[in-house]
Amino acid sequence: MEYAAGIDVGSTQTKAVLLDASRAIVARALINTGANVKRAGQTALDTLLSQSGVAKEAVGFVVGTGYGRYKIEAGNAQVTEISCHARGAQLLFPGTRTVIDMGGQDTKAIKVGPEGDVLDFCMNDKCAAGTGRFLAGAAEVLGLSLDDIGEISLRGTQPIRLTSVCTVFVESDILGYVAQKRKMEDILAGVHQAIASRTIGLVRRVGMEAEFTFTGGVARNMGMVRALEAKLDVTLNVSPDAHFMGALGAALFALDHVLAGRSVVPAAADVPAEWVTG
Amino acid sequence: MSTAVADVKDYRGRVHNLSSRIMTDWMTQLKQAAASGSPSAYLMISGNCVEILRCFDILPVFPEINALQLAIRKKSLPYIIKAEEIGYASDNCAYVKADIGFTLSGGVGKDGNIPVPSMIVCNFVGCNVYIKWFEHCAAMFNCPLVMIDVPFVREGDRPCPGDVAYVMSQLYDLIHQCEELTGRKFDIDKLREIMRHSARAEEGWTRCKDLCKRRPAPFDAYFDSINMMGPINALRGTREAADFFDAAVLEYEEMVQRGEGVLPEEKFRIVTEGPPPYPYYRNFRSLFETWGAVAVQSTYSTVGGTWEFGFRHDPDRPLESIAEQMLVHNLCNRTLTERYAQIRRYVEEWDADALVIHSIKSCRLFSAGQGDMREYFTKELGVLTLMVESDLEDPRYYAEAQMKNRIDAFFEALQYKRIRGAAHAAAAKG
Repeated sequence: MEYAAGIDVGSTQTKAVLLDASRAIVARALINTGANVKRAGQTALDTLLSQSGVAKEAVGFVVGTGYGRYKIEAGNAQVTEISCHARGAQLLFPGTRTVIDMGGQDTKAIKVGPEGDVLDFCMNDKCAAGTGRFLAGAAEVLGLSLDDIGEISLRGTQPIRLTSVCTVFVESDILGYVAQKRKMEDILAGVHQAIASRTIGLVRRVGMEAEFTFTGGVARNMGMVRALEAKLDVTLNVSPDAHFMGALGAALFALDHVLAGRSVVPAAADVPAEWVTG
Repeated sequence: MSTAVADVKDYRGRVHNLSSRIMTDWMTQLKQAAASGSPSAYLMISGNCVEILRCFDILPVFPEINALQLAIRKKSLPYIIKAEEIGYASDNCAYVKADIGFTLSGGVGKDGNIPVPSMIVCNFVGCNVYIKWFEHCAAMFNCPLVMIDVPFVREGDRPCPGDVAYVMSQLYDLIHQCEELTGRKFDIDKLREIMRHSARAEEGWTRCKDLCKRRPAPFDAYFDSINMMGPINALRGTREAADFFDAAVLEYEEMVQRGEGVLPEEKFRIVTEGPPPYPYYRNFRSLFETWGAVAVQSTYSTVGGTWEFGFRHDPDRPLESIAEQMLVHNLCNRTLTERYAQIRRYVEEWDADALVIHSIKSCRLFSAGQGDMREYFTKELGVLTLMVESDLEDPRYYAEAQMKNRIDAFFEALQYKRIRGAAHAAAAKG
């Protein structure tokens, strides 16, 4: 049996997924990217292999995605995370028409066609305002774990109103509210709402079409899920594998090659999924 | 999905070399004028009236060209910072700041490459920040400022009644100023001769652009247009510029006959809106070339004037046609919907696959409305549209990884769409 791997080297974390030929997830890897991007990609792949017991030679094709995609030495081809999130989301939630991907330094709204194809997308500009980094800054200044702030925010009843989602100024803004003795949960509820408001702007630009699937590392944050749902007035599709969606999409593109019996580059798009799997 | 077109080359045909030669000749004249103090005048690119200055042998100087040359040589940032040090805001037009910083650093004058202008002609077309720029320049050089008020075209593609006469009356004033400066009488026959050169250059430029309707396009109408915008905007009205375009037409016609394009393989045809990021011009171009994407039309190439839809300077109506060009036949002085109409014609008549908008951080004036533009083309016309953002002059706004990510994703989507279209067509057939 042949396998395909997708490795998503993000700004904060590197995610990897190993698929078998039936598109089932055989292994997942999650590590901090750190300063050595090359090593992160390799470590992620090694982790997949050791977890699954699959031999290196059985992995027919590796697709890299994320900002570090060109640094992955084992990568046979590179695809942007925009295409990968669309593809991954469509596999897990076939009704997906809009993907909201929130990562460490990017927030994206992606309009998706019925076959997982990208019809349109919008992202935050060069500034990382309103992304996962903003949440990390808020957690840090409050002395909390990033994993906890979402749950705490859900207890807020009188959210503060942040005037900006600037990742640099978030600390002083929050300290101001701390000095006013505002409750932790209200501060965090306001933080999540501010990001949700900004994200909705991106979603509107590509068009508000259900179903909405929330992907990326921040999708693990229930406070963010609820804040977005409240703003959009819909229920979001959120998979336990939301964090791995880019890697999953990359693995699906890799699987196209494996199933087509081709393990040498040319471009992945030369072998689109529908030609391979019917 | 990531594809690479092998062997991307820098096109260096006759057109590039010839453009480089005549532009260098002009810059040599600027340097000589800087030393000798012979008459020169600052002028704006957009919808300019260079023919009138040329009629008096006043050497035209374009601060915008000075600024972009600083940027493309990666020298703009220290000058931008210099301007910020004296109080220009961080989001102020970076062209303005680079030029002001350059001037404050001694780039203009006897020891520099640019002459101190004898006169400043502010042909205000669409951008009121430029008014302040030229006012500042006039104050710095203590020289006369001729402010030409060109009314914005309020609706459609025609000037409102009275606008042409209003602009012409100011052109007469400019002519008087030129007479005073040079001590020479206005010679309308000389102006007519200059305008014949202008019209010939405009005809050649139009024919070049028309050749980009062919597949493959013989040149990139965004990136390679830079080599033709110098001659059409700064050297218009000279025999050299007109001859240059005749040569360009010849070269591109030959390429079309040989079926030769600017890239080894033309995979995507795009229309572009907005100026390029000059500090990273080559990098930015590579991001498109890698995908085999060629710009077949660009709005930026019409900043000086829009000639592809038929307008020509008319030697039989010299001042009237100059006024008409300043008012209507340029990109910047018209309504947003007219800009949309121009781009729509480009997409349809030049048979483009997509629109790419490069939005300028330090130019809120012309970036305003590009969000709507994107929406109009994407949602109403079904033209896949990419909007990216950096700056035309300030390198601090350019982030290569993010730019590449957006461009790659865009072409991945286009490629996927094409493959799916082919698959569906094959399925329907078989």
